[in-house]
Amino acid sequence: MAAPRSLRISHVGLRGVVGSGLTASHVLDFAAAFGTFLESGGPVVIGRDPRSSGVMIREGVAAALLACGQDVVDLGVVSTPVVQHAIRRLGGAGGVSIGASHNAAEWNALRFFGPEGTYLSTAQAGELLDIYHLGKFRFAPHDGLGKLRAEPDALDRYLEELEAAYDFDALRSFRVVVDCSNGTSSLILRRLNQRRGFGFILINEPVASVRFAHEPTTSAATVALQLAPLVRPLGADAGFLFDADSDRVALATECGEPVSEEMILPLLADYLLPRGSGKLVITNLSTTALVEEVAARHGGRVVRVPVGRQAAIDALSCYRPEQVALAGEGTGAVMMPRFRFVYDGIASMLAILSMRKERGRPLSEILAGYPRYSILKAQVAVHTSGIPALLMELQRDYGDGDINTLDGLRVDWPDRWFHVRVSQTEPVVRVIVEQRGEPPAALFEALLERVRRIA
Amino acid sequence: MREHLLKIGVSGIRGVVGDFLTPALAAAFAQAFGTYVGRGRVVVGRDTRPSGEMLEHAVCCGLLAAGCEVVRVGVQPTPTIQVYVAHTGARGGIAITASHNPPEYNALKLFNSSGLFFNQYERGELVDLYHESDFRHAANEEIGGLSDDAGSAGAIHTGRVLAQVDADRIRACRFRVALDAVNGAGSLLSCRFLRHDLGCELEAIAVDPSLPFPRPAEPRAEVLGELSALVLARGAAIGFAQDPDGDRLAVAEETGRVLDNDDMLALVVDAALTRRRGDVVVNLTTSSVIDDVARSHGCRVWRTPVGEANVVERMQAIDAVIGGEGSGGGVILPAVHLCRDSYTAMALLLDRMAATGLSIGTLAARLPRYHRRSRQLAFEHGRLGPLMQALEERFAGVAADRSDGLKLAWPDRWIHVRASNTEPLVRLTVEARAEDEAEGLLAQVEALL
Repeated sequence: MAAPRSLRISHVGLRGVVGSGLTASHVLDFAAAFGTFLESGGPVVIGRDPRSSGVMIREGVAAALLACGQDVVDLGVVSTPVVQHAIRRLGGAGGVSIGASHNAAEWNALRFFGPEGTYLSTAQAGELLDIYHLGKFRFAPHDGLGKLRAEPDALDRYLEELEAAYDFDALRSFRVVVDCSNGTSSLILRRLNQRRGFGFILINEPVASVRFAHEPTTSAATVALQLAPLVRPLGADAGFLFDADSDRVALATECGEPVSEEMILPLLADYLLPRGSGKLVITNLSTTALVEEVAARHGGRVVRVPVGRQAAIDALSCYRPEQVALAGEGTGAVMMPRFRFVYDGIASMLAILSMRKERGRPLSEILAGYPRYSILKAQVAVHTSGIPALLMELQRDYGDGDINTLDGLRVDWPDRWFHVRVSQTEPVVRVIVEQRGEPPAALFEALLERVRRIA
Repeated sequence: MREHLLKIGVSGIRGVVGDFLTPALAAAFAQAFGTYVGRGRVVVGRDTRPSGEMLEHAVCCGLLAAGCEVVRVGVQPTPTIQVYVAHTGARGGIAITASHNPPEYNALKLFNSSGLFFNQYERGELVDLYHESDFRHAANEEIGGLSDDAGSAGAIHTGRVLAQVDADRIRACRFRVALDAVNGAGSLLSCRFLRHDLGCELEAIAVDPSLPFPRPAEPRAEVLGELSALVLARGAAIGFAQDPDGDRLAVAEETGRVLDNDDMLALVVDAALTRRRGDVVVNLTTSSVIDDVARSHGCRVWRTPVGEANVVERMQAIDAVIGGEGSGGGVILPAVHLCRDSYTAMALLLDRMAATGLSIGTLAARLPRYHRRSRQLAFEHGRLGPLMQALEERFAGVAADRSDGLKLAWPDRWIHVRASNTEPLVRLTVEARAEDEAEGLLAQVEALL
């Protein structure tokens, strides 16, 4: 079994454990590659999450971009969606978000955006990787270097966009408790409280640089730790939890029930499909089949793509924006056309609250309106050499279902499916099994047994 | 000849910004430095070159990655940064400056916890560490903070300088002083120092740190025409010209004539030894006028290879009271700090004028007169060795010093050939008591080329 990796350089950028995997040298070279890749034009917008290592990385990114002759606008500690919003507002040539989102504190990552704050396409990301590996960067002469300026009010401008999209007057009345996971969402929510009269009750609200109260993952299990038990005692209408850079969100009902992270996308699909022209829902092969059922209610259609943000981005580029209702995954990361297809947990939360307002019923009742799906997930560390044979065997043995081999193996039956795939970030195989109704325990165990043979 | 626009060695890292001195190189060198000095506070400052901001980010990145806590002092003269390091008990410091080199160059000057250059052995260790790339890589919880303290460094430095002179006496003279700060790191501090601390009537040019250097960075006589004109036009008693990082000084006398740098150093040595007697250290290429001045005080002169670090290392080892390098315009007064410091030089010269009531021109005219001639030759491999050999054969029996190229010294004249530390050049200097002797000596050497 291979050791867990502490550095990954791929189409989605650069990600690793700072020090042992991700070093200053990687940061400088990758940022210089980005500075070389970008067409000159507007400034490059950068922001970071609160990890200590973010300052080191910010300094390296700034140095490399300035050296390539790019002007830099530093937003400081902000959420990733705020960076993306600022790129568009400032007419930026691109942007860099420094932050490891849902990973533990010792991790950090760099994500790169193009003009308009969009994610890079696979082709663009491939070119960036090629420049990085070639190591030949286009540095400006000493009198053509970029300039750096700080922009402290990016958050306020982002709030203005949220205000234009949602009826703040209607939402303000809700009593909502939020677990900020010591991340940047608290900066946004505090300001909504101070400047827009919201009454969010915040926990794990200090923005932390070294120690998080819990791993900032948006799973039902994390919601159950601290957030869910508080909802009822506080008499709240809902509980929300964000990852460190608030591009993902998780949910608890007014009864204090943690809601499966799989439910965020179906909920938002149910809300958004009847409201706009878009009838497509783009999601990955590991996400709940409830999405198909909800989409069908509204005459919508689900497009299934491989797991990972990059596949969703590439799928989005195949359609006109007005054809798409939303895109997302079962982790609580959702992109909406109103926000130019940027994963934005805060916007997702406001959409769920708007739905709650419109339906005039508690969240638990809204959720009870959907058929029950039971999903089981596990991961097994494996010898990667045995993976192709494993997948072929499974395909042969489960050949009575619909076979999809876009990303590992997914097999569908009318009320049941499984997905066996290889993680992009670790040498593990993930097994996901879902069934309408009761948990598909037998199938799950059978599959795990098969996968463990190559462990 | 190949062009070498990057140099990494025991003097640190220096090069032309762009394709040669890259942010990755600067960050790696800073990370090596941070690994070498250990976790703790490290001070970072810079001069006003356009590449300073970019390199400052790169250096901070490397230091933070090594687990250091970074204190940025912003645009400051190099001596100010050095004093600040010592004063605040930091682990070390980095000045981002190529000193007197042209604006397209930049470099890192590295200081230990006393704000001093590392000795040559330490510098060797640091370069080895850089080449091994065996850096400390701090994990998230080990990464120190980044803070700014731009406000206090200047006053700490000039306070130490003022303690070494009779500032009241200088203020009472209300000298009219001209200044050319080359829009460098000293621009703001020099104005405050001369106008407020020393009570001078200041006539300043090139004191906007946001503008490019208006003249070549090194304050040589032939590029200081504007300062000379300013001295004459405003009837200034003295004119000062700094380099971009405020460690070197050139001086114009009241006639507008720019003093020979060796004579400037001699006047400062005279001023320092008048206040306190002790040993003097200068480099091999510095004029014999220093020996005459020291002798008049009954003091000894030590000579070292060229380079501030060499002079400082010797001064520290023998506890010298004053030192410097003639051609570079560098004055080192350990009572302020063991570093080249234009502020110390300005203060000592004004103090001497105030004490004697004599003009700077009169003081210079009283110095024994030497004539120097210098040539620089493009460096080609194999050129220096045969020249040194030919010189030794031609002048057999003359006292020879081989610690930095070759210096041949008679009681009243000398020849020095050496390779530049910073540029691909061979430098040739001769000195004699009479002009025709100097010309003759130069001709004899050139005949050997």
